[in-house]
Amino acid sequence: MILISLFLEFFKIGLVGFGGGYAIITLLQKELISLGWITAEEFANIAAISQMTPGPIAVNAATYIGYRIGGFWGSAMATLGVSMPSFILVILVAHFIFKFKESRFVDYSMKGIRPVTVALIASAAIFFAYESFVDLALPMYINPGAFAIFVLSVLASALFKVDTILIILLSGVLGLIIL
Amino acid sequence: MDKDRKKFRVLLDLFVTFFKIGAFTIGGGLAMIPVIEKEIVDKKGYIGKEEIIDAFAVSQSLPGVIAINSAIYVGYRIAGFLGAVVTTLGVVLPSFIIILAIAVLFKTVSGIAWVDKLLTGAKAGIAGVIFVSVVNLSKKAIKDVFGIVIAAAAFVLAAIFDVSVIIIIPAGAILGYLYHKVREMKKHDTD
Repeated sequence: MILISLFLEFFKIGLVGFGGGYAIITLLQKELISLGWITAEEFANIAAISQMTPGPIAVNAATYIGYRIGGFWGSAMATLGVSMPSFILVILVAHFIFKFKESRFVDYSMKGIRPVTVALIASAAIFFAYESFVDLALPMYINPGAFAIFVLSVLASALFKVDTILIILLSGVLGLIIL
Repeated sequence: MDKDRKKFRVLLDLFVTFFKIGAFTIGGGLAMIPVIEKEIVDKKGYIGKEEIIDAFAVSQSLPGVIAINSAIYVGYRIAGFLGAVVTTLGVVLPSFIIILAIAVLFKTVSGIAWVDKLLTGAKAGIAGVIFVSVVNLSKKAIKDVFGIVIAAAAFVLAAIFDVSVIIIIPAGAILGYLYHKVREMKKHDTD
């Protein structure tokens, strides 16, 4: 029974969680603490772990809480639950777009969607960069080591076409050495 | 038989690529963009650069986790339903394995100084490759004055006025449709 409730609860989170990241953290916190599945302290712990591991926080939380409540299968069901709504919705929309790609309606709409989406990505990218070398607690202080890694990464990618994953790995190693 | 084998190769390739993406997506879905650009577009040529933008437009307009949404869109685009299944599995598995290991072995990982340094360095590096990707994608997405104007407006609304994606993307779609429809009608008139 607990496996089904885990699936349903995370299905619900996957269905209403818009905008990723921080929006989903708030939602998870409200839902899971009010269900009594975890304490506020445990939740803070999950958020901290998510900050320190790769991958989306919703998946991390689903895996962690699922395991605490229902063992391995609990974590599998919770993760499946959180991914399922995306699966249904994205395939429906993608199917529609690919099917009517040649139609004027989709073609013209895409010509409006692409420029604004790039602008949204650019705006998020600036915030991401800012956060990566400015300590939010000390907004005037730029971490010189992190800034240097940022500049090296831009050069390596734009001028020398170094492999992206290699750049990320080397940046991590450089962080260990100089930060 | 040969066709089946080819399809299997593509699926395996998608799984491995999205597993890498899952393992190197640190700090949110945005970090996926440069990795998808390199692995799926530049190295394999499975899709065009502008389709990364489409994937993100759809992912951000729908509920759910952006990384998973984008994986499903790209997987479905390249290899249909099974493609979406393998990309989702690929992108989710690294987190699943790492978190499961932490849940089984430790209570917490926070406060380990070297992990913090490693991640701060990796995030600064990711910020750099995202920056380069954004420049590359802009060239593909913004092709005329109309594009420049709505991109600039969207940027100001998002960055300064904190207007939601759920408003900006549909507004872009409506403006794009109207603008090109009007142009088409004008062209007919002059013909």
